[in-house]
Amino acid sequence: MAGLRVDETRCIGCTRCVRACATGGIEVKDRLARPTDACVFCGACIDACPVDAISIERKEAGADLVAYRDIWVFVQADEHDDVLPVAFELLGRARALAAQRGCAVVALLPQGPGSAGSHERELIARGADRVLTVHDERMVPLDAEVCARWVCDLAQRLKPEIILYGATAFGRELAPMVAVRLETGLTADCTRLEIDGATGLLQQTRPAFGGNLMATIECPARRPQMATVRPGVFAGDACPRSSVSSDAAAKDQVVEYPLDASVRSRVRVLATEPAQQGASIAQAKRLVVVGRGIGSKKQLPLMQRLADALDAELGCTRPLVEAGWLEYPHQVGQTGVSVAPELLISIGVSGAIQHLAGIGGAKTIIAINEDAQAPIFGIAHYKAVGDAIEIVDNLVRELEDAVARS
Amino acid sequence: MAAIDKHAGSARIVPLTREHDDYLHDESRSHGEAESISFPTTEGEIRAVLRALHAAGTPVTVQGARTGLAAGAVPHGGHVLNLSRMNRVLGMRRDDAGAYFARVQPGVILSELRKNLHARSFATEGWDDASLQALRALADAPEQIFPTDPTEASACLGGMAACNASGARSYAHGAMRQHVNALRLVLATGDVLALRRGEQRACGRHLTLVTEGGTTLEVELPAYEMPACKNASGYFVEDDMDAIDLVIGSDGTLGVISELELALVPAPAVTWDVSCFFTVEHDALDATVAMRHELGCAAAIEYFDGAALDVLRRQRAESTAFSSLVEPPADAACCVYVELQCASEDEALAELARLGALLERAGGSAEHTWVARTELDREALTFFRHAVPESVNMLIDERRRIDPAITKLGSDMAVPNERLHEVMDLYRTTISEAGLEAAAWGHIGNNHLHVNILPRSAAEYAAGKELFARWARAVTDMGGAVSAEHGVGKLKRDFLEIMYGYQALAEMARVKLVFDPRGQLGRGNLFDEELLDSLRQAGALDGDAEKGGA
Amino acid sequence: MHIVVCVKAVPASTEVKMDPVTNTIVRDGGDAVVNPFDASALELALRLREERRAAGEDVRVSVLSMGIPATERLLRDCIARGATDALLLSDRAFAGADTLATTHALTCGMCELGMPDLVLCGKMAVDGDTAQIGPELAGALDMACVADVRTLMACANDAVTVRAGGDAGVSLVEATLPCVLTVAKEAATLRMPSIAGVLAAEHATVDVRGAAEVGADAARIGLAGSPTQVVRSFVPEQQAAGVEVSGDAIGQARQLVRIIGEVA
Repeated sequence: MAGLRVDETRCIGCTRCVRACATGGIEVKDRLARPTDACVFCGACIDACPVDAISIERKEAGADLVAYRDIWVFVQADEHDDVLPVAFELLGRARALAAQRGCAVVALLPQGPGSAGSHERELIARGADRVLTVHDERMVPLDAEVCARWVCDLAQRLKPEIILYGATAFGRELAPMVAVRLETGLTADCTRLEIDGATGLLQQTRPAFGGNLMATIECPARRPQMATVRPGVFAGDACPRSSVSSDAAAKDQVVEYPLDASVRSRVRVLATEPAQQGASIAQAKRLVVVGRGIGSKKQLPLMQRLADALDAELGCTRPLVEAGWLEYPHQVGQTGVSVAPELLISIGVSGAIQHLAGIGGAKTIIAINEDAQAPIFGIAHYKAVGDAIEIVDNLVRELEDAVARS
Repeated sequence: MAAIDKHAGSARIVPLTREHDDYLHDESRSHGEAESISFPTTEGEIRAVLRALHAAGTPVTVQGARTGLAAGAVPHGGHVLNLSRMNRVLGMRRDDAGAYFARVQPGVILSELRKNLHARSFATEGWDDASLQALRALADAPEQIFPTDPTEASACLGGMAACNASGARSYAHGAMRQHVNALRLVLATGDVLALRRGEQRACGRHLTLVTEGGTTLEVELPAYEMPACKNASGYFVEDDMDAIDLVIGSDGTLGVISELELALVPAPAVTWDVSCFFTVEHDALDATVAMRHELGCAAAIEYFDGAALDVLRRQRAESTAFSSLVEPPADAACCVYVELQCASEDEALAELARLGALLERAGGSAEHTWVARTELDREALTFFRHAVPESVNMLIDERRRIDPAITKLGSDMAVPNERLHEVMDLYRTTISEAGLEAAAWGHIGNNHLHVNILPRSAAEYAAGKELFARWARAVTDMGGAVSAEHGVGKLKRDFLEIMYGYQALAEMARVKLVFDPRGQLGRGNLFDEELLDSLRQAGALDGDAEKGGA
Repeated sequence: MHIVVCVKAVPASTEVKMDPVTNTIVRDGGDAVVNPFDASALELALRLREERRAAGEDVRVSVLSMGIPATERLLRDCIARGATDALLLSDRAFAGADTLATTHALTCGMCELGMPDLVLCGKMAVDGDTAQIGPELAGALDMACVADVRTLMACANDAVTVRAGGDAGVSLVEATLPCVLTVAKEAATLRMPSIAGVLAAEHATVDVRGAAEVGADAARIGLAGSPTQVVRSFVPEQQAAGVEVSGDAIGQARQLVRIIGEVA
């Protein structure tokens, strides 16, 4: 029977597991921990146990894992038929994993009938051994369900060991649709991927609890193993193949794989609104990012003044959007906009992982925060500990005076 | 000019320069002037500063967090004694009955104290053993709160005591007064008066006090009767009164509060907030009266009139900062908000059933209500309540840009229970006669509404001021108070005379001069400076004919 | 019309700290609340019901959750706010579910409630952030799916029109019913219950069913039915320290001005 197991020879009855448990799922009696009916197998007690006495035992299904091989990367093109950069980032990472595993990297490229046909060559140049593609009008615009049917069909026939998707809006809708049809595991929004070269087991690390906790997840008994990966996490410029292959060679490596004729979209896009402000934050050269530590909505005008004085854009953390202080397009972080400015001034931001994941591309980070222990200081290049408002107040004055003098 | 740039203890009296501009105004948005400023951190430093200024009779204005709405902290020349750096909790006490008391410096911010109490964690540097022991006991005790709840949680406790602040929960918990158990008051001479509830009482209307320096103060208390309603107008007096009550609500005119002992209460087990919407104001008033009779657990009964809801609706539509605000129902003409503090969920449900039934009887409806039971919903309602004054301030600021003469005009009057309908009728009739725009909200459980005139021009501002004077007379006739919670400060002085008459005002001024013979402290608060100076010159109490300060 | 809103109980706070003494993870979530995204989904369902009710049609809004028995309290609160009925799937056998196993359980719950025309769920849960349940449900139920719904524009008997977020910005999308919509938090703020609602909900029945009662396949639910497993969780480490900017506020500000001038 699957369940939480306590190694009686190791347990010292310290009750740390009891304190770590949010559901009352474990108790200590006679100096021995034992699970209760309220256990939800969240694993908090395992992490809390100082003597490694707790484990979760599972009944492993004996699937035929050996039949599955290769690493697939789903390639998404945008409405202008340009391949999104995350595909190249994933190809780069997949190459490294494939080298350890000794397998091939395959790109999945759904296209419209009129697509120019240059993507295949570029994908091969950037790391794919083969490209599986389809030219079909039902793939424009991309429809998650239609696409999922195509990917599932391919996966059932060709049995990949791993499928990676960019964690774009589309990728995060497509991947679960594939996962549920293939009845396999899927890990969302990974920030790290490692592989066991011998077994092919993929270690997928992702933030949980709003980014306050990192979890490493495995899918031991089902295939394919699937993960979506946040754009920008892996370097996209690594080009492990020394030269662009010839057209002739490329031709052999590209296989057209048709979409089942019965597949029909059930969703129609009637109109698309032009993208708004968000873009300006994503592309800003200078950015002021404010967090809950500024204390009050009343401080926003001061923050805007700082942004103005620096000719910067204003961004914020998730709690501020949730509190209604600023609109969603200002939100910087994993669930908001990923940014890569030359200069980022972070004010009153504690630095939850989901936020830090979104500012990793910043060249210089200056953090101002009252709490010297705030995680933001862990990635800041310059750190000012102190009353954020007081420091910014002075900073604005200095900057504005400097402008007045010049 | 006195003692500028000399050391007073370690609190330097420094010339007031441009960088101190912030210290010339408070939330009332009126501006003053001063020559010097100090930021003491201990009682010893307060005493040193006051001693240094006493000889020359320099005026001293005491400041806390400057969140006051009556300009009590706006200086009228002389020195600004700013207590914002006296922000330490000094200790804690648990009495034999298990009640907890917190000993604080006057500059401690209410929201900080709340945070500390919630986390049961204090900066305990310098605490004595008894305090540390009480804190350890607190760790296992039910959560304790300080119940006084002015809307502005960034107020400081010294300021709250000085103007006897109250706010929404004073319906159940009363104003600041009953939660102050002891205080220390530094007099203008630098001498200290230590007062503890129950220890120094008046004999009839005569009070004899002895300072720590050994000086005896003989205080002849004024003869007036206090109104039978919520009140923060003028000195609190009654026969055989407790001396500490004279200081609470004295608007910084008697001395400088250097330390407070606050009585804490256990946090209620269940707090539910209910907003009840009505289509007719009269029904809301009837419901309020019924709530007072029938609800046993109401901690606050608040009101928002139609105009207030409209300002909110507009602000919600126009400003990002308010977009997450819950939207009042389209057909709601006004809202009565009730906070229920109960010992259990069952008790709360029973109370809710009573509230539903009385609403139906009053012409409201159990359907047209919002019940906030979760933290998230309660936050939404708190935001809703706080957004009302904030929205009105933003509206006024907008109009001020067009005409700088326009400023906020908010009333703070309360009447006895049986006068609620009458006073509302007075407000409605006179506002409509004057053709003014107004929004009203506030503590209807105490018949205490803030009626805010929203002037569109300087002429309307003047008309509004006139209207307030008229209301002050009418409210006095009803046995009410002209300032129920904001204090009188400098802005409501004229109303004080309307309420008590010139004679009583002179009696109050004489009390002040016993504590502060040179009339240095809080000049312009409560009394016209001329009145004070003429009394002094008449030599009624002070043989010294030398003129005061700056 | 029948709408099922899927809700999840999540901790009120997702804060996680490292106990500095024992070096173990401390999750102090406080009370459980309805996942805020799911709350927005419920509000959209309630609004849709009001609209259609005005047009003379009765709409049933069911709330479905999988969770520990205490989740019943949250479902009762959903009824107080206007949901017609509620079903809680609660069983030891459901525990330890990943998104695939949760999807199977919810699908069984859906069968128990009667197949809906519209399934609404939050775009994601604040404690998991996976955003997978909606699309997986759509796959399992063979329904159309629109993710990240910002506005529900119109709903006819055979199609629903919404504004939804995507990689190219916000689009106006029409989907065939039956359909799964995953709802963005900003789509709506869940209404508060009325006094009448709270009192009525106290007497309402929240159905609680075990795995066998809803015919769940034991191999497809809970720990056993979950292909993924968490092998390690940890509080992320901080990296090497940056340059300290010290002094009083004025001093710090002056140094920062210099640094800003140097780096950009």
